[in-house]
Amino acid sequence: MLRYRDDGNLHKDFHRTTNGTISYLRRTHGREVLDETFRRTARDVYRSIHDDLKAGDWDQLIEHWTYFFDREEGDYTLEHTEDEIRLTVHSCPAIAYLLARQIEVDPDFCRQTEVMNTTWAEGTPFAISTEVLGDGRCVQTIRRNRP
Amino acid sequence: MIPSDHFVRYYNEVFKTLAAMGHEHMEAYWRELGRLQAQELAEAFRAGGIQATYDYWQKILEEENCLGELTLTEDYFEFKMNRCPSLGKVLDNDAAPCHQYCDHCMGWIEPTMDAAGLHVAHDIHSRTEPHCVLRVYADEAKMRDWEATALLPCRPYDDPPAKA
Repeated sequence: MLRYRDDGNLHKDFHRTTNGTISYLRRTHGREVLDETFRRTARDVYRSIHDDLKAGDWDQLIEHWTYFFDREEGDYTLEHTEDEIRLTVHSCPAIAYLLARQIEVDPDFCRQTEVMNTTWAEGTPFAISTEVLGDGRCVQTIRRNRP
Repeated sequence: MIPSDHFVRYYNEVFKTLAAMGHEHMEAYWRELGRLQAQELAEAFRAGGIQATYDYWQKILEEENCLGELTLTEDYFEFKMNRCPSLGKVLDNDAAPCHQYCDHCMGWIEPTMDAAGLHVAHDIHSRTEPHCVLRVYADEAKMRDWEATALLPCRPYDDPPAKA
């Protein structure tokens, strides 16, 4: 069950603020400080997702991915096998929002996804990989580790 | 992707990260936000005066799911926030709130209003309850008179607030 299930109006302009924040942190403080903000977010804000993964349950993470991609009208496909779930993002709604407004996407914009996925997998029976393909496309895969 | 719905919880983690490095780093970030927002808004606010600030927050009220009341008088624009969705989400959070979370609002509004030639005061009431009142004046003396009646005036570029 999702810890945060927002409804009501969307304020997609927050993606602009996220992009500006990432750019500021990268330029002013470097990638390590930027990544620390994502690790804190994955560990603390999304504690219940991380706790579920530690317990071997990936359902909340998958629901988180699909609920918010649907809510933001992202274009994706989800493939499910016994040991692996693959989220293929054809068009990331955050990047689509920025590009539609001619806003330069920070080169580290996708660190949010990469670092949060890596952090979520720590101490769990899963591995999560993020393959950034460019232009708002990526593949995120969660695999159950075999003993 | 951090959903746009969850940006403020990420913001809260950014503030805590910067605060742990030193208050001056958080203040520098607010100034950057102010610089960017001033680029977007200051010219419109300067041209349209307090009516333009009313128009801007009318849009924000709806887009950001705020519960609040807007008032426009000859002297000021007032935004009475009855339920701030931003602090509300930060409090409804498995992560701890940044003590100075509310300061980011004046952190960008104050420099933006300075650039627009307007004067702003913000009574945040409490750092742990999601309600506040913001007023924008054309006349600085009138703004100061009102600010003197505030329960908890927010001045983020003054000394950092003591942790309650």
